[in-house]
Amino acid sequence: MNKGKISAGLDAGHVDTKAIIIGGHEILGYCTVPTGFDVVAAAGAALDYALDNAGISRGELAGIVATGIFRDMIKVPPLDVCGTVPEYVADAKGALFLNKNSRTVIDVGGNIHKAIRYDQDGNILDVIQNDKCADGLGIFYTTMAKAMGLSEQEMSESALKSTRSLSIAIQCALSAESEAVDLMCQGMNIADVADAVLKFIVERVAAMCTYMSLSKEIVVAGGLAKSEALVKRLPGLIKQDVSVLGLPEYAGAIGAAINYENGGK
Amino acid sequence: MVKKRSDAIIEHFRRITENTHEYAKSLQGKGRFLAGYMCTHVPEEILYAAGIIPVRILSSHVSQAMTRSYIHETYCSFSHDCAYQGLQHNYDYLDLIVTSSSCIHMGEAFNVWVRFAGFQDKSFLIPYPHIIQTKPAGGFLVESFGEFKQFIEKFVKKSIADDDLEKAIKVYNHTRRLLKRLWEFLRRDNPPITGPEVATVTLASQVMDKQECNQMLEQLIRRLEAEPGKAPSGVRLMVTGGACDDLGIFDLIEHLNYSTNLIFIDSCTAARYFWFEVPEDRPDKLKAIAEGYIGRIPCPAKDNVPGTGEKKRFRFIQQFIEDFKPDGVVFIYQRFCSPQPMDIVALKPVLDKLGIPSTELELDTTVPVIQFGTQLEALVEIIKRVVPIE
Amino acid sequence: MSEHASISEQPDWARARAIAAGVDIGAVSSKAVILLDGQPYAFSQVATRTPKESAFNAINAALAETRLKLENIHYVVGTGRGRTQVPFARKTISEVACAAAGAVHIWGPSVHTVLDAGGQSCKVIHCTEKGRATSFLWNDKCAAGIGRSMEAFARLVKKEVTEIGNIALQSDKFPKLSDFCAVYAQSEALDLIRSKVPLEQVIAGYHYAMARRIGTLAARAGVKKDFVIVGGLARNPAITGWLDSILKVSRLAPKPEWDPALTVALGAALFAAAFSTAGQRDGRNYQGG
Repeated sequence: MNKGKISAGLDAGHVDTKAIIIGGHEILGYCTVPTGFDVVAAAGAALDYALDNAGISRGELAGIVATGIFRDMIKVPPLDVCGTVPEYVADAKGALFLNKNSRTVIDVGGNIHKAIRYDQDGNILDVIQNDKCADGLGIFYTTMAKAMGLSEQEMSESALKSTRSLSIAIQCALSAESEAVDLMCQGMNIADVADAVLKFIVERVAAMCTYMSLSKEIVVAGGLAKSEALVKRLPGLIKQDVSVLGLPEYAGAIGAAINYENGGK
Repeated sequence: MVKKRSDAIIEHFRRITENTHEYAKSLQGKGRFLAGYMCTHVPEEILYAAGIIPVRILSSHVSQAMTRSYIHETYCSFSHDCAYQGLQHNYDYLDLIVTSSSCIHMGEAFNVWVRFAGFQDKSFLIPYPHIIQTKPAGGFLVESFGEFKQFIEKFVKKSIADDDLEKAIKVYNHTRRLLKRLWEFLRRDNPPITGPEVATVTLASQVMDKQECNQMLEQLIRRLEAEPGKAPSGVRLMVTGGACDDLGIFDLIEHLNYSTNLIFIDSCTAARYFWFEVPEDRPDKLKAIAEGYIGRIPCPAKDNVPGTGEKKRFRFIQQFIEDFKPDGVVFIYQRFCSPQPMDIVALKPVLDKLGIPSTELELDTTVPVIQFGTQLEALVEIIKRVVPIE
Repeated sequence: MSEHASISEQPDWARARAIAAGVDIGAVSSKAVILLDGQPYAFSQVATRTPKESAFNAINAALAETRLKLENIHYVVGTGRGRTQVPFARKTISEVACAAAGAVHIWGPSVHTVLDAGGQSCKVIHCTEKGRATSFLWNDKCAAGIGRSMEAFARLVKKEVTEIGNIALQSDKFPKLSDFCAVYAQSEALDLIRSKVPLEQVIAGYHYAMARRIGTLAARAGVKKDFVIVGGLARNPAITGWLDSILKVSRLAPKPEWDPALTVALGAALFAAAFSTAGQRDGRNYQGG
């Protein structure tokens, strides 16, 4: 098997650390581990599991490129990170890799959500990121799922079963949490509260999108892209179609790995 | 249980508050012009004299974030909601929109309609003095009303005669007197109508043709005077604060775990809307209207006596407390409102001196029922001096 | 987080005249306190899930150390956010009244101001020497969730939430963070971490900012001694320590026999005991209502 140069991309995010192995423009293996308390350990574990998946050893790697909020913190031995890439660059390249017709990626992550517009070569045309007040949507989602005794997947499925439209005032995730808890304490149906939570998140993301023009095709990345309920609501608010990337949470890691392949930093 | 005849009228008023667009369009169907307004500082009489019905623009309470690209995040949800409704073309049927310069947040919502919602050629902003407790303010306002009158005359292509203005003044004063009588029922220990119902009727009056409203109010008051008390006497709670068109909050105040009565609402969408009169039978009608509006219970955005910083509104509040005898006070204000909380800070010591406990409810698009319920019940428990004793 | 323990050596509960319990369903944690004839018998603290679930989890965790069953409890009072979702509670009382009653029971009649710094909300409560609440101030929305955000902050700095308070106290010098809102402060903390500011200093700066936020609320309400802090944040020494210096009112230290986070549940239990005795004697053993 001609794998060509094999590189690894690490996306050390706020909540999860993603690792992916790419060789010859093919995805060979990947893994996500919670970032937890030890950023470096998480990155190492993610990398090792991904390598395992790919059936490759560390020695066979031509290089490891890091992105994500903790990319600088993981540039320590024994991790042989040879370079870092800002998240928005990685996202664009990764999205393009997964969908070569895409020109805008909306990345809804654990703490930050952003949108990036790029050309057919992955060159950045415009970037927008959430304002401070809108931090933490992914974390909010996870916290609410836990509070309702649901997995993240179950919460999305539950939201789709909502029969009653509840509302949460759109401000920051902290006050939204307060309101979601209030709704639960009123005895509201879990499905309806889940739906209200998703509505809040989508409204926030959509509001951010109004600050930048979006070019087709628009794709969604990040952990929350796996929520069917979220993806279903988004087009109605931004008035454009979207599609979810395959392996949406790996867009950043893929972009980082590719950057090495292309002789990036 | 026999349904009281007054209930049917109250229900009619309530339906109007829940179907404001339908009601407004029915007026248009009868050939009337409609002018939407976003603040009670608008001199409705001038519009009414020209045959235009002023219709208060109210909140839809829809949770949305798209208006954040139009007006700042930290503006009150009421202004965001009004802006949203304009952008959603919910009010396209209005012939005209009017506002007076009062608070910045509502001013920006108005601007959104003018600039982005297609109302540029059908709008008027009335310059209204901020420091109203000064000599120049009266003259300024008369001049401002004069320009507004000229604009309206051009708009309807008809001049507004003094007679028309006097008629409008009398119709509106009649509404004000009727509403006052309605609220006065709540002074009783066992009134034939509840506070939330009075609030509903008052809110409806702000979107109605006042002549029709007066007829319904007269009927309602006649019936109520013949009906027995409806609500058992409980803890008497008075609300004071800013605009609030969320009738659910007033319902909540009377649906706690304890017996409570909402006995007064000092807010611009309740008592402050009508608790004044425009002097009648004066030769200078615009001067009379200006005098009436300046003499109202002031909005905190305009209540600032130069030199002393005195707040004239507080005298009115103290009078209400004397007349309606609340056991406790509930402050309401929109999150991110600046003027209302300033008044609260200044008013609290006054209440402390009177020995009246209070709590503050921060309003937003949605009502956190449990949290508000907790604060209200805590207030009632304080009033009832609840404590476990071994 | 799940801790429970019984306090007293197993007295014969069958002889107790009044077995009363208070259940405090908070946004982050749920607590239960069981009293036998007014004496502490068992308590618990569990993580809140759905309110109803949490009510059962809390009371069962407290009962687990005893031979008592739920049906043996004469009277349960529910309080906290989830108070209407406690199926076995006969009455609900606001956490304001419960905090006042609980605080005076724990610290004595000298208590005048209680700061309840919980997971989701902060309230400052004034009370009489008998534990009757006389006024309170609830946090504004922008100050919501300070307690809960501590957990998020702990995850951000990759430490346990139980240790960050002590870490915060280790630095004399630390950067100034936005003291208006937890979201802003965390955003700034993250920036500082990435700029390689030592983690301990960032932790200290964040705690100081949050203490100031709470302090603003408290100052607006007025803090008169004796002053106590209850709720989850009372266990964070950096928050309580800095509040002392910000408010310049000496605070009574927590009592060894009572975790301050249980104060509100205790207050509810005291109400339950009073209602229970009132019912039994057919007289009135509590004022008001």
